[in-house]
This record gives sequence, structure tokens and C-alpha cells, in this order.
Amino acid sequence: MNNRVGSSEQHRRGEALAPFWAIMQADLRSLFRSKITYGWLLAAFLLVLVTTLGSRLHGTTSSAVSSGLSDFIYIWSLVIIGLTASSVSSEAGELADSIMSKSVTRLDYVLGKFASRIAYTLICFFGVAAVLVGLALRLETSDYNSLGLFSAILVIALTMVMLTTMGVGLSVAMPSTVMAIVTLLVLWYAMTIFFPVIGLDLLSPGNLLSYVQDIIKGEWTWGNWETVIGFAAISIASTTLSSAYFYMKDI
Amino acid sequence: MGQRIIETENLTKIFGEKLIAVNNVNFAVEKGAIFGFLGPNGAGKTTTIRLLLGLIRPTAGEVRVFGEKMTPSSSNLRRRMGYLPTNPRFPPRMTPIQYLDFVGKLFRLGRAERVERLSALIRSVGLLGDSSREIAGFSTGMLTRLGLAAALMNDPELLIFDEPTSGLDPSGRKSTLELIAELGKEKTIFVSSHILTDIDRICTDVGVISEGKGIFAGSIKEMKKSTRSRVVRLELDGDVQKFCELLKAVKWVVGYTTRGDFGVDITIDPSMPMADAVREVTNLVTSQKLDLISISSSTSNIEDAFMDLLRHEQSRGFLRAT
Repeated sequence: MNNRVGSSEQHRRGEALAPFWAIMQADLRSLFRSKITYGWLLAAFLLVLVTTLGSRLHGTTSSAVSSGLSDFIYIWSLVIIGLTASSVSSEAGELADSIMSKSVTRLDYVLGKFASRIAYTLICFFGVAAVLVGLALRLETSDYNSLGLFSAILVIALTMVMLTTMGVGLSVAMPSTVMAIVTLLVLWYAMTIFFPVIGLDLLSPGNLLSYVQDIIKGEWTWGNWETVIGFAAISIASTTLSSAYFYMKDI
Repeated sequence: MGQRIIETENLTKIFGEKLIAVNNVNFAVEKGAIFGFLGPNGAGKTTTIRLLLGLIRPTAGEVRVFGEKMTPSSSNLRRRMGYLPTNPRFPPRMTPIQYLDFVGKLFRLGRAERVERLSALIRSVGLLGDSSREIAGFSTGMLTRLGLAAALMNDPELLIFDEPTSGLDPSGRKSTLELIAELGKEKTIFVSSHILTDIDRICTDVGVISEGKGIFAGSIKEMKKSTRSRVVRLELDGDVQKFCELLKAVKWVVGYTTRGDFGVDITIDPSMPMADAVREVTNLVTSQKLDLISISSSTSNIEDAFMDLLRHEQSRGFLRAT
């Protein structure tokens, strides 16, 4: 009897989450079918290969991994900006017609979008990071700490999640895709380059890179915790505020 | 009075504190009705539909669907509704099968039910041959048919069609109207249009909106009766001038106007029954050996009834302004 009650409860919960899963799956499928994804991953793998092989005579694991991870902050962030800042605004035309007029709540839609774009960014990031670490461990002089290496990758993953949530958040709030992309570009490069100049270095992805090599070697400081907390807070704030805005706005 | 499926109460929507798109609109749609929502372009029809679906929030007033207040969170109400927008847009990279499966998931249908319904619908809207093609290359007619299939995916009790015949060729338009009439035997239907003959052909009830204001709601018969203008409209082959001279001598003819070389509109005295007037007019035509091309009473024409309502509303607006 209890089993049956539990199973019907599970079924109801599964049914309630069906629109969220459907939106997330459809979005992920379309992202992974996109030529931009193929191009991005191909270019990222090639860059990892070239830079790791190029530095193998005089490089170390920590410098190779750190250099590979910095590509995400300075180069691949452009792809993430383009793909996340267009996530909702580019669908404006078909949104009401083909999705929101069905049995979908605002939160199903916007959280489905956040989840799919975060999953996409992380899958691509961890894919490239795995190749990077694999090559660096084989080819470079070993100077890493396993926990430190793992922590460094997770911190950059968190940075990418922050960028993704900012992108989707702006895409919800801005009236056009171009405006969302430009705003995010300005914000991202301001955070990366100018935040350290005005004393906000703890919230600067660019500043974080100067510590990544130390983190890989196993040095973790309180300042790193502050950065992690800051990035997590920005991610949560972006998601919460833009979801609340989407809940209120007319479609 | 039957069960009310849709009911609006003082429904108002103002965009940006500037544009009053819907202004204090009241109407009700009863179960089993095919309700035509008429209005010129820009009158507020689509805004009203978006309010009915909970896509936008009213500035004032409210919408009740199935007896419950509609809000953006009312996914439980939308689960019982189907919606076909004007020129529907879909995810371009999906195929019809993928899109209908996606819609089925949005409606929380199980896998078996989704497969069964989407196969039946794809066949019935005639998209079987294109079911594996990407939607991006579809024509307007194909998109409308896909939209129709998506609107029916959840087997809804209430269907909302926004200008369903817009952009369709005559045969597509005819088959869409026939399909709506067929669906109307089982479901409640709300259909907006500015094409009056479409509404006249399929609807049982009608609401008229002009510049955001509801100016009529009731049955089509009531609408025609309330605006009848007692005019008999003729098209004749022969000496129309001589015929008009004769009309001057008829006591129940209040006046007449000619339209082009062969059209005459005769205004009938209110004391004369319309049926008798039509009979007398045809007798007069026969006696003059004229060939009758067509005859109609403007009371039977929804276009005239609609135009009368708009004119009446405009003159009321003018009087209010002065």
C-alpha cells in the first residue's frame, strides 16, 4: 500500500516536472545540433593540442592547465556570451505561440532554459578540460596536486556557470538579442579587466586566473573562498532576479 | 443559461500607460458555442486572446476560463485549451513529429498517448509526407495545419483560433472553416477574424470589438436584427432609370439610391413588413420586364450589420468627444 502511494506521488511529481524537462531537453538537443557547437569544440580541442604540445619542452602541468583554462575566460567566453544571451530573446516570436500557450508555467520555461544552458556550458567545458588535463599530465613536468587540479577546474566551471546565468538572465530582461549580447560583453570584460583596477579583484575572473596555477599546486586561500562565494552569489542572483522578472512580464 | 466556458469582466489592458488595447470588455462564451470575435485590424482581438490564455496580465478586470480566474500560472487551465495563433511560428529546426511530441510533453501526456495522438493528427492534417522535414521550409498553409495539430494535441475542451484563415488560399480557407465547424460539434470554440463571411458561415454567437471596446455580444441573429436598416438591394439588367421613376410613386418606398449602372438600394417604410416589400419589389421588376441579377436585404448581410455597429460606435464616440 505504502509503495503504491509512494509510486503515485512520484508519478505526480514526474508529471509536474514534464514541461521543465521537455524544454530543457529540446533546448539541449538544438544546441548540440548547432554548427556553432561543432566549430567551438573543434577549435577548442585544436587550441589545447597546439598549446600543450608547443610548451612540452619547458612547461609544467600547472602552467599548461592554467593556460588552457584561461582560454575559457578570454576566448571561449565569447561563444558562451553569444549562445546564452540569445537563449530567450531569440525565441521571442515563437515563445507565446508554440510554448507558453501550452500547459507551461513561467518558471517551467525560464528554469528549463537556465538548466539547459548551464548543462551545455558545463558539458563543453568539462569535455575540453578533460582533454587538456589528459594531455598536460602526459606531456608536462608534473607539479600538481590532485585536489588542487580538481579545485581549479571546478572554480573555472563555476565562473562559466556565472557567465551563463548572467547571459540567460540578460536574455530574459533585454528586449533584443543584440542588446543582451552587447550588455553582457561589456559586463564580462569590465569584470575581467577593470574590476581589479577599482579594487573589486575578488569578483574578477581575470584576477582569478593569476591564482589558478597556485590552486593547481594545492595552495588554497581564504581569498579563493571569497571569490567562489562571490561568483556563486552572482549566479544565484542572476537566476532569481531574471526568473522573477520573467514571471511578471507580458509575453 | 448554459455553462460559461469563458467570461470576461471589465477586461482592460493598457500597454505602457499609453495604449489602451482592450477597454472594459465584457462577454461570455457558453459551452458548445462557436463564438466569433469580430473586429477590424488593430481592434484588440489578439490582445484579448493573449489575456484569455494568461500570456499577459489584465491592467483591470479579469478573465475566467472554466469558471476559474486565468493568470500566467494557470497551466492547469491551459491544459484544457488549444490555441492556434495567426501565422503560427515554431522552432524551425524541429520536424513536425518532434514538435508535436514536444507539445505532448508540455501537456504532460505519457509516451504512448503522445505517439498515438501525434500519428493520428499528422495524418489528419495532411502532413504525413512532410513529417520528417524541418519546419523551416514549410509554407503558410503547412504551418497553419501544423498549428492546428498542435492545438488539438491535448484533445482540448476549448479551442481558440486567432485569424485561422489568414494567408490561406481559397481551398485552404474552405477546408479550415469546415474543420472548425466539425470541431464545433464536440468542443467550445472561440475564433477571431476580420473576415465577416467566415464568421457568418460557422459561428453561433458573436462579439464585436472596435478600438479596444466591446460594442456587441450575442447571437448572430440578434446582431443582424439589432442593426437592420430595412434596405432591399437589387442588381438589374435593363432600364434602371425607368424603374427608379416608378419607385417614386410607391408609397412604402422611403427613398432609393443607385449603385453604378445596375444597382439600386431601396429603403422601405418601417410600417411595411420586409417580406411583403421584397415580394412587391420583385413584382415590380417582373412587370417592367427587367432581368433580376440579384436581390438581397441588408438585414441578411453580416457585413452591413458589422459596419452599422462600427458606424454607430464611431458616432457615439464623436458625440462623447463634443
